[in-house]
Amino acid sequence: MYRLFGIETEYGITLENAEQIDPVKESIELIKHYQCNHRFLPQWDYDGEDPFRDERGFRAKQLNNHPDEIEEEKKDRERFAEQPGRSFREIKSDRILINGARLYNDHAHPEYSTPECQNLFDLVAHDKAGERILQECAERRSEELGQRVLLYKNNTDFYGHSYGCHDNYLMAREVPFDYLKSSILPFFVTRQIFAGAGKIGIETEAGLATPGHFQLTQRADFFHVEASVDTMHKRPIVNTRDEPHADPAKYRRLHGIVGDANMSEYATALKVGTTTLVIELIEQRLIPKSFAIANPIDTIKVLSHDQTYRWMIQKADGKMMTAIDHQREYLALAQKHLAHQCDEADWVLTEWEETLNALEDDPMRLTDRLDWVAKKWLLETFVESEGIEWDDPWLQSIDLEYHNINLEDGLFYGLQMQRVISDEQVHTAMHTPPLDTRAYFRGKSLNKFEDAIRTVQWDSITFDIEGKPVTVNMNSLANPEIAQKYNEALDLSPNPQTLVEKLGLN
Amino acid sequence: MKDQIVYYPERKQRPAKPFEPDDGGDDNNAPKRPDVNRPDTQELLKRMRRVDKDQSRRYRQRTGE
Repeated sequence: MYRLFGIETEYGITLENAEQIDPVKESIELIKHYQCNHRFLPQWDYDGEDPFRDERGFRAKQLNNHPDEIEEEKKDRERFAEQPGRSFREIKSDRILINGARLYNDHAHPEYSTPECQNLFDLVAHDKAGERILQECAERRSEELGQRVLLYKNNTDFYGHSYGCHDNYLMAREVPFDYLKSSILPFFVTRQIFAGAGKIGIETEAGLATPGHFQLTQRADFFHVEASVDTMHKRPIVNTRDEPHADPAKYRRLHGIVGDANMSEYATALKVGTTTLVIELIEQRLIPKSFAIANPIDTIKVLSHDQTYRWMIQKADGKMMTAIDHQREYLALAQKHLAHQCDEADWVLTEWEETLNALEDDPMRLTDRLDWVAKKWLLETFVESEGIEWDDPWLQSIDLEYHNINLEDGLFYGLQMQRVISDEQVHTAMHTPPLDTRAYFRGKSLNKFEDAIRTVQWDSITFDIEGKPVTVNMNSLANPEIAQKYNEALDLSPNPQTLVEKLGLN
Repeated sequence: MKDQIVYYPERKQRPAKPFEPDDGGDDNNAPKRPDVNRPDTQELLKRMRRVDKDQSRRYRQRTGE
């Protein structure tokens, strides 16, 4: 779809039958079991990261943190004080994979960041490849441990602790941030009607508040601010972190933190595909002010909790409408301005319309496509079969196991969900970067010149050329034509010296 | 270790094509809209009954992003 995008997913981790685990230790150990065919592990270059930098033109003094983390971080400090050899780098355990992805310990969760893609179905394949790679790590670690490691692609522990699945989009810096915020925020609020992964129970950050209440999303309970740089506490619907990982004069990165982790390939494709089209509309300044919602912070929760599935919202101009019709407003603009661009965009437009129609007619028609509908069907079937109440804690375990990424045990993998990619594409994505983005340059450089790489960042690679560091700045590779030239130069270079010569770097 | 290195194909390979089980390989570069599949309820119930009732009670995570 001619735009760089990617998905970062923090996984939940535990050990079978364990009452308590050290998630930091287990995340580190899990990542160590990534079967790297390369003896050299290049280091991630943290200099390019600054989560305090705000899109609105300032640097935040501090980031909000969940109250429980004060105690947890104190324990971390004590634990690491006892292990002076355990460095920051070892705790992060960064791995750069030959498919261009990043695998590391983000705080207390194993995180898989897909390589940058510009083809929607490449991205879905790489998202699924992340599941398979992590599950392979879990199986190796389980064998060593004599106890099974369980991984969940979800966003909550039902005790008020949420972790993210972020969808990221590179977009034009010239779009004023206020316009971006006012245009994308209402879309994010109503996108959940097809992108939500479903959850049994309503949470607050203090814990489970209302057991037994089925809602559309895992994450809506955790959003309290319209826009801010925070990601861990008092989360915003629009995150303002300013880390484009590309030329900052030309690009900003929309860091979408409001979404759920999707198991369904179809839901992932629809979530990212529709958001990509909306960003295209935003870049063309086509989103009118009339799309604004009156009270987005309340509305995102009200919609998620709504048991009537009528999903009424109030617009900022006072008009009442359904979330389905609100999505149709975005859809109509996209159909008018973005149809017939490419097959992928047309696929998204067709499925977006069909999904909204089905949600209006009978959401259960989407049992084989949308996560929240599939999960609801599972829970209803189980309640009816076992004669249990909706607040039975067993249902919460069923909810959790929907997200278990083990193909044999995970409930999602017992369903006959519609696919948009093949197993072969997933397998290929485990070892092969997207062929048409800068991720190819990263993954192939690692595959080809492993001994000559010192550090890696999303937008740079530093080679060691005869003892001297030579950095390839990949800022400009957001442009697909430039990425093509760099990737061709890499293919034609037998060694890193030739590569940097071809790129005119020495 | 060297003999385990994965050699993946050069970029001349076509980008991955979206998949559709009934795709006859025409030029359309996107999957067809699927028909609804109905899950096998009995097999799923067996899988669900194997789920440990206490699994979510034991499942504690730290806040992430």
